[in-house]
Amino acid sequence: MRRIRSLRSRLLALVLGAVALVWLATAVATWSDARRELDELLDNHLAQAAALLVAQQAHGVDDDDREFDAAPPPGRYATHVAFQVWHEGRLIWHSAGAPTTALASHDRGFDTQQIDGQAWRVVAARGAEHDVQVYVAERLDSRSEILRALMRSMLWPIAVAMPLLALLGWWAVHRGLAPLQRLSAGLARRTPQALDPMQLDDTPTEMQPLLAALNGLLTRIATLLESERRFTADAAHELRTPITAIRAQAQVALGAGNDDDERRHALLATLEGCDRATRLVEQLLTLARLEAAPAAEDSNTDLSRLTRRIVAELAGSALDKQQSIELEAPDACTLQADETLLGILLRNLVDNAIRYSPVRSRICIAVSQSAARTELRVEDSGPGLSDEQRGRLGERFFRVLGNEQPGSGLGWSIALRIAAVQGATLSASRSDALGGLKAVVRWPN
Amino acid sequence: MRVLLAEDDPLIGDGLRAGLRQRGFQVDWVRDGVAAERELLAEPYAAVVLDLGLPMQDGLAVLAAVRARGLAAPVLVLTARDAVRDRVHGLDLGADDYVVKPIDLDELAARLRALVRRSHGQPQENLQSGDLVLDPAARSVTLKGVRVPLSTREFDLLHALMLNAGRVMTRDQLERRLYSWGEEIDSNAIEVHIHHLRRKLRPDLIETVRGVGYAMARTP
Repeated sequence: MRRIRSLRSRLLALVLGAVALVWLATAVATWSDARRELDELLDNHLAQAAALLVAQQAHGVDDDDREFDAAPPPGRYATHVAFQVWHEGRLIWHSAGAPTTALASHDRGFDTQQIDGQAWRVVAARGAEHDVQVYVAERLDSRSEILRALMRSMLWPIAVAMPLLALLGWWAVHRGLAPLQRLSAGLARRTPQALDPMQLDDTPTEMQPLLAALNGLLTRIATLLESERRFTADAAHELRTPITAIRAQAQVALGAGNDDDERRHALLATLEGCDRATRLVEQLLTLARLEAAPAAEDSNTDLSRLTRRIVAELAGSALDKQQSIELEAPDACTLQADETLLGILLRNLVDNAIRYSPVRSRICIAVSQSAARTELRVEDSGPGLSDEQRGRLGERFFRVLGNEQPGSGLGWSIALRIAAVQGATLSASRSDALGGLKAVVRWPN
Repeated sequence: MRVLLAEDDPLIGDGLRAGLRQRGFQVDWVRDGVAAERELLAEPYAAVVLDLGLPMQDGLAVLAAVRARGLAAPVLVLTARDAVRDRVHGLDLGADDYVVKPIDLDELAARLRALVRRSHGQPQENLQSGDLVLDPAARSVTLKGVRVPLSTREFDLLHALMLNAGRVMTRDQLERRLYSWGEEIDSNAIEVHIHHLRRKLRPDLIETVRGVGYAMARTP
């Protein structure tokens, strides 16, 4: 069966169905009750009529075969009743329509007989003193007729009432569902930008969980959109910095005239600005990709080997700054991780350490694995971060002011995001060994 | 014209300094808020280019601090923040102009010249003294309609005197308006330039106030 889609039709069908069912049950109960009462009453009448006839015969039995020749009593039921009085085996008296054969074979009590194809209720009675046998009979279908008439008079108002009830039911359901209607109308009226919670006057109790869930969803979407909006705005602002530099330097190069040194300097600075913009864009894309598809493809990854490779790649810039960089790692240290993402994470951490530590500082990277966890530590002897600055790490575009390094302020956000995706934790603290910053990535085993 | 540039980004600072120098400004460059406040209170800059995101002390804090100390020099705020709220806040705190990055160097120079001109009560772009006309944008000087070639220093000196017409400028004041940090100044440099200006333009153009300095007459 196809389910009824409309809540209103469903409610209406259920209510009307229930009403009809109750009426039907009532009708059945009434029918059987009325029938029992009717049977009892009419049987009593038959018995009394038989007793009367017996009593009458006791006073004077003559042998004439008399027909009950008075005109049949008026009324629809005249042909539905009959009686016979037998005396010493002879039919001496009977009603007009009664047959001449005995109405029944029993001599006392009630029985149902088939006579001329009709079912008759027959009561038999015997006179005590003379040989008198009395039968009083009544057609059973007259009883059914009475019953039917009774049921008819009971059921027709119901038949009339049903459509009225349906109409009233429809109206009631409509009224009852009005808050739902208001909610959907309110939602339909909303602009896509309107994400404030839905307010509904006197919300019914049943709708409160729905409304609360809806408003919760709206709030979450609003928060998400707000953070996206802020990210886009921040990204645009951040891009302005390299663009400003590129523009200024390009204009200086244009205006350098005969000064070749100045032009060359400005052009080199223009290129540097382009590199910075590129780096920023790459970081933004990485972050956007991480936010969009956080699913990592985990495989057996050797953290030691990967770290060795990354440190080897970045060691050049450390040597440029005369920094000493060292790696302490076991021969192999496997864990389940996405190697590409893990590479980005490592590169960001090591690059940060090199970039933000001054000339001739020390950078130590260590990989360790125990039964409980796998750990990667990047420590430096740089200036480190204050508690306030550490707290703001991971805010997009947060940069420690006063350092000359052209960072994007996104590296730590990216590292945090990757760690989260990999089920690892990333924390920053003061390095006890070197005095600078210590970044720790920890995977539970 | 000597201006202070407060900008922490090395690439932008380098570019703005070089660009403004090409456009005839003497530029001192500081990279943090504390240095910016110190230099602003110490030197007579004609104008300031102030980045808002400065380390140690935010640009707006610098602005509020120097205005509280009575600094009158025009301040041009240069920033990546472009919300109207930010601009209004910046202007309310005493900025004279608010420019959003990235900016064209010619526009920046023009805005600085306009700020300096207005801060000296000059409604027109060109400065005039009798039949002498100085065009700060073109960095040209004409006498009776004839262009007179001047050196950078001579032009700057004449510009400073014309901006402050009617006021006596000491030699020290003039030097500090003409030379940025680290530039070699001969002890008699100002005298030499004044001498050249008188020779090239008019002997009676610049008056010497003996023992004090030099002045140009305010012309009605």
